[in-house]
Amino acid sequence: MPGLLFVPSTPPRATSISLLTRALCITPIEQKQEHHVAAVLRAAFGYFFLVFMVRIVGRRPGKQMNPFEFVLIFFIGGLALTFTVADDRSLTNAFTQILTIGISHYFLIMLRERYPRIALLLDGSPILLLRKGRWQTEAMEGMLIQADDVMTAARDKGLYSLSEIDYAVLERNGEITIAAVTK
Amino acid sequence: MNTETRAVEDSIAKVDNELAVGEDLDFQRRWWRFEKWIWRFFALLVLADIAGLFGRGPLAKAQKHTPDGAMHIKYERIERFSTPSILTIQLGPASVRKGTVHVWVSSSVVDRLGNQRVIPAPSQSEVVKDGVIYTFPADDVPSEIAFALQPADIGLSHLTIRLLDADNKPLPAQDYLNLDIFVMP
Repeated sequence: MPGLLFVPSTPPRATSISLLTRALCITPIEQKQEHHVAAVLRAAFGYFFLVFMVRIVGRRPGKQMNPFEFVLIFFIGGLALTFTVADDRSLTNAFTQILTIGISHYFLIMLRERYPRIALLLDGSPILLLRKGRWQTEAMEGMLIQADDVMTAARDKGLYSLSEIDYAVLERNGEITIAAVTK
Repeated sequence: MNTETRAVEDSIAKVDNELAVGEDLDFQRRWWRFEKWIWRFFALLVLADIAGLFGRGPLAKAQKHTPDGAMHIKYERIERFSTPSILTIQLGPASVRKGTVHVWVSSSVVDRLGNQRVIPAPSQSEVVKDGVIYTFPADDVPSEIAFALQPADIGLSHLTIRLLDADNKPLPAQDYLNLDIFVMP
């Protein structure tokens, strides 16, 4: 006999009908609602998780992203999309999730402004890379920065040799600033 | 009208008494140590995932069978939310009653584990209290029934499967098979 046949043993009640529809339907109705309540939480989780990951992975020197970092951004972004959006492609969901991410971001910025310790956790501190003719090797190894990276920043400032540099500082936003030797 | 202002203080720590940097090397050292450990932790998580600790791997697969061999169930003890998987019941000769096989499955198969399809299609499926009874013609036993699951609920689910006789009464000698399935978010 093809297909499913429903033979009720008792007169069908509301509950058994809903169970039957759920047994036969592709997606039960009640699941969707449960799902939607969590959607904004997924967005908030996604935001904080990505901030954490970027903090761990990021802060390499350079004003522009290099090609590898493009891979990172697009890949992580694409994967984050699958679990935040899941199967809810509605405007409502996009709207509420964007609001959630906006609020999460504002919350983080507010904490950073108010508590220096949190600012330190989020951004780290500026770090000296070169100081009066000496490389700060511990800092350079810790931040995976090479002399080349410092020279790149120096050339950008019109300095063409290391002897012209007094200080090189890795800033919190990942840029390297150069202080020229004062004459 | 007064606007709020604050005097500029020399609050940023200086290097060599001339460059206001505000370097915090102590913090950086602790952070680098933390990074070293977090990378190891990430690697562990990935290895655990390959092993199937979070589902879809060797550790997630499980089997259970009744002592008389009437049912042998292969399933995944760790499922993932909304991700398809197959639960199979291999039926032995002891499962057949009057030319049919009657399988009672607790309603969690539908409302928590999101059963999409039963293969082959049962000749009859009946909704009863706390579960669904599927009836299959038993011409080709030993054979296999597959449930295409797609979990709809996160967390621990209990699934009970048992065989019934031709009048849909539980077979006395038959053990229940209770499966604990954890659905990952």
